Amino acid sequence: MPKLTIDNREIQVPTGTKVIEAAERLGIMIPRFCFHPALGSVGACRVCAVAFTEGPVKGIQMSCMIDVQDGMVVSTTDAEAVDFRRHVIEWLMLHHPHDCPVCDEGGHCLLQDLTVAGNHGIRRYRGLKRTHNNQDLGPLVQHEMNRCIQCYRCSRFYQEFTGYRDLGVMGIGSRVYFGRSVSGVLESPFSGNLTDICPTGVYTDKPSRYFGRRWDYQRHPSLCLHCSLGCNLTASARYRRVVRHEARPNLEVNGHFLCDRGRYGYAYASAADRPRQAMAAGTPGTIADILTGAQEAIQRTVEQYGPGSVAVATSSRSSLETLALLKQACEQHGWTGPATTQTDRQALNQRTAVNCLRPELAVSLAADTEAHDVLVIGADPLNEAPMLALSLRQVQRSGGHVTVIDPRGVRLPFDFDHWAVHPSAMGAIVQALIQEIAGDGTAASTEFDVTRLARQLNASPRPSVICGTDILTSREIALAGDLAQALCRTHRVAGLFYVLTGANAFAAALTQSERVSMETVLDRIENGSVRLLVAVEQDLWREFPDRKRLQKALKRLDHLVLLDYVNSPLNHEVSYFIPTQPIYESGGHWINQEGRLQGASAVMAGGDTIEVTGGLDHPPRVFESHIPGSEQLAAWRALAALTEDHAKTVKAIQEETLRSALADFHPAVDTTSAQPTGQRIDLNAVSHAGVESTEGPVPVVNEASSDTVLLLLVDWTFGTETLSAMSPTLEKVEASPVAHMHPDTIASFGLAEGKPVTISVDARQLTVPVQADPRMAPGVMVIPRHHLLEWQIFGETRVIVKRSQLNADGV
Amino acid sequence: MSEDKLKTDEKPLKPTESSGWSALKALAEGFATTAKHLARKPITESYPEVKRQLPERSRARIVLTHDPDGRERCVACYLCSAVCPVSCISMQSAEQPNGRRYARWFRINFGRCIYCGLCEEACPTSAIQLTPDFENIQRDILTLVFEKKDLLVEGCGKDPSYNYYEHAGVTTDQRGKGEHASETPPVNVKSNLP
Ligand code: SF4
Ligand code: SF4
Ligand code: SF4
Ligand code: SF4
Ligand code: FES
Repeated sequence: MPKLTIDNREIQVPTGTKVIEAAERLGIMIPRFCFHPALGSVGACRVCAVAFTEGPVKGIQMSCMIDVQDGMVVSTTDAEAVDFRRHVIEWLMLHHPHDCPVCDEGGHCLLQDLTVAGNHGIRRYRGLKRTHNNQDLGPLVQHEMNRCIQCYRCSRFYQEFTGYRDLGVMGIGSRVYFGRSVSGVLESPFSGNLTDICPTGVYTDKPSRYFGRRWDYQRHPSLCLHCSLGCNLTASARYRRVVRHEARPNLEVNGHFLCDRGRYGYAYASAADRPRQAMAAGTPGTIADILTGAQEAIQRTVEQYGPGSVAVATSSRSSLETLALLKQACEQHGWTGPATTQTDRQALNQRTAVNCLRPELAVSLAADTEAHDVLVIGADPLNEAPMLALSLRQVQRSGGHVTVIDPRGVRLPFDFDHWAVHPSAMGAIVQALIQEIAGDGTAASTEFDVTRLARQLNASPRPSVICGTDILTSREIALAGDLAQALCRTHRVAGLFYVLTGANAFAAALTQSERVSMETVLDRIENGSVRLLVAVEQDLWREFPDRKRLQKALKRLDHLVLLDYVNSPLNHEVSYFIPTQPIYESGGHWINQEGRLQGASAVMAGGDTIEVTGGLDHPPRVFESHIPGSEQLAAWRALAALTEDHAKTVKAIQEETLRSALADFHPAVDTTSAQPTGQRIDLNAVSHAGVESTEGPVPVVNEASSDTVLLLLVDWTFGTETLSAMSPTLEKVEASPVAHMHPDTIASFGLAEGKPVTISVDARQLTVPVQADPRMAPGVMVIPRHHLLEWQIFGETRVIVKRSQLNADGV
Repeated sequence: MSEDKLKTDEKPLKPTESSGWSALKALAEGFATTAKHLARKPITESYPEVKRQLPERSRARIVLTHDPDGRERCVACYLCSAVCPVSCISMQSAEQPNGRRYARWFRINFGRCIYCGLCEEACPTSAIQLTPDFENIQRDILTLVFEKKDLLVEGCGKDPSYNYYEHAGVTTDQRGKGEHASETPPVNVKSNLP
């Protein structure tokens, strides 16, 4: 490890570190535009100049281009270096369009900061300025090319880092231009990061265009809830409206970036139709009264039918606090639940994945980028957990290889191997792989070269297995765990990475004492044993896969108590509706899919946004001390009030209830000690028993036959996940729903590409255009759980559809 | 303390400088001054009977001015609200269909303003200006909260010529790329000529 001196202070850093990074470790921020920790150095901007006074390198050099060497002596304050940097700033400002006052970057602009730091307050250049035309880059990113300083960060990020090609650098000389060859919507689902990485205001956040300055925003660390990866972000709010998400660097999770679903999915929190009023059967009341009403209803039901007649259900987007209180309430009062998933299959999948994730195998999203050969089983990264695709892109960039075994026409922004395997054959293939890897391979001959893949994984310095939990069965999920273990036995290092369904799916799986899902709760409602349901932050209307059954069953309940912050048609029908606070108001903890416990702060106090209180004009001219429309509680507070007699108003009692609930939550989750959040929970304490046996041949399920097609309801990057699908911004970039099928399957079922198909289930129909995808497995039909589709007719998200159910005429 | 240090180099007083003489002299001078002013016209002006024209630069009630071409000057850049030491300015920026950034609403709470003039100094468009009108007293504190319509005045105020959108390189209905002060026409990126 070379040792060098920077500004008279010594530091030892690993070989290969750049001088600019070494200085940063000493807390010395050398100015930079083109250097970015995720993108590396190019030496384009020349603003990081420092003086090397002694040692192997001498003179003024770019600190981002020089690797540290033993004995270097660096001065960042050397007069010549300071003068050099001052001139660089001045010439970077020659063509600057003088538009900071109307630029949205103003206030957090690196160019602004360094211009001030370089003491370049007054323009000396009197010549003419070069100008550029802007492009329309779609609804997410605003383009203002005149502000560019040619640092190349955007093209390096867009093309090299994410692997998309539609934005880059054009032109020569002083006419260098960054944009698309023609105006148009950016193709990359990571395009929002351009607004973060551009050091000036060329790319700014379009949804918050001209809305405010960063210094006026309430900014706090928060988390993304739109998939299970738990990317870290900084949320900004102003006048009680969530305005913007920015990536919050976490080198173990999302690195420096976010996907566009995470960046632009926040609109639900300040939506005009967000329910803010407590109601009993549609009649508004104070939240205290409604809570009392609900509590009395629970008591009456328990007295009359016993504690098991009260069921609680929540979803995997609820915070750890909420889950802990629900778990405690069920244990203490004997209530049914908590159900944390919609279907039994999802519950089993979640639990299997969590149980199979042994501590020696678990890898983080960031560690995935260091893997060398990655096998993705039953996951569609770009659609299910977009940032995973970005991680895999880094694997491929550094010479690794990615193989995807999935029936869908998986697309990734780089070259990879795709085995389009029918879901019913996936288990057998994974099992064959395990046998091959363990060396007792008698791989059944299939069209796929299992032996070659096994050999490749075996020869890899660092193999990793990524497995989805949405379309697979628990059997395959457990097999993926076995595969990682087999690799671990031959390799000592192997990674296992499950993609779960929901931001807190890991914690939700830890609450499952018995297998209870919404499906089982409905069974019990139907047979009369459950009379009252408390549904917490779970949008049954949108998420339960059988809407008709749901509606019927809910009608049989004596009482339905709903706690949520999104608008749903059910809100006005239920006996008691209690408005809760989204993550921006409540904060809380979430456990991501690798078991990492992460915290989010509250960003703002809730209440009607200023658009509501003031129309589009100024806020009302009244003095008052309370915020209109702010009568909501964090779900866990409302639950504490429901379960504890005295907790209705006394916050301290609510907090005490929470503390005890968290302490009892799970031995693996230590929230009482000083364990800093952001660390992985103790996976050793998670029961690895109870995993379904993976011995014996995989049972052949009759899912593949010429007379049926296997329908998979899946996630898309945009338009399917409940919360982000409410974003008007993302609605502009989402694709309209289609049913994807292999061309041969389309033909064999007498359907026509581009024409609608109608699928009938018990007198209910779903009509959706068919689109051919030759990269898919035959015999499969893939439909997104799109908010524009009424897909809630199938009862499950993986079902067999018979030929007779498909109708080509589209009516 | 030593004796030496207390010594002074004062000379003894002459008879004309004796205390009696100088007291008489001062008395006479004082009466003379009074007598002189008794005969003079008073220079004190009684406010509010007399209202003086204050210097242009005196700092009192704040206004929002217009560009020379009559359009609203303020671009809602939030610099004045950021610099204001008592945080009495608030606004909401937005975009007009013509491409100009403007304040959808703009509020100054004169109950709090200390008339320091920092907002005027920070303003990049010469929109916000302090005027000599200091008579801004109200019984109801809420009437001291001025909205945009109360703040806007006709004309350019103290800066008769500056027009921000003539200089800033952003496109509005009046000027496109290359049409602002000291700009060349937009480059053709598809050209390979040097
Ligand atoms: S557009 Fe921004 S990121 Fe791209 S080169 Fe210009 S200044 Fe750098
Ligand atoms: S990958 Fe998932 S967690 Fe990360 S930003 Fe995107 S939606 Fe959010
Ligand atoms: S004069 Fe001073 S106190 Fe008054 S609004 Fe301007 S900056 Fe604020
Ligand atoms: S500083 Fe000037 S242009 Fe900016 S918001 Fe204030 S008045 Fe408007
Ligand atoms: S940061 Fe070193 S040259 Fe740009």
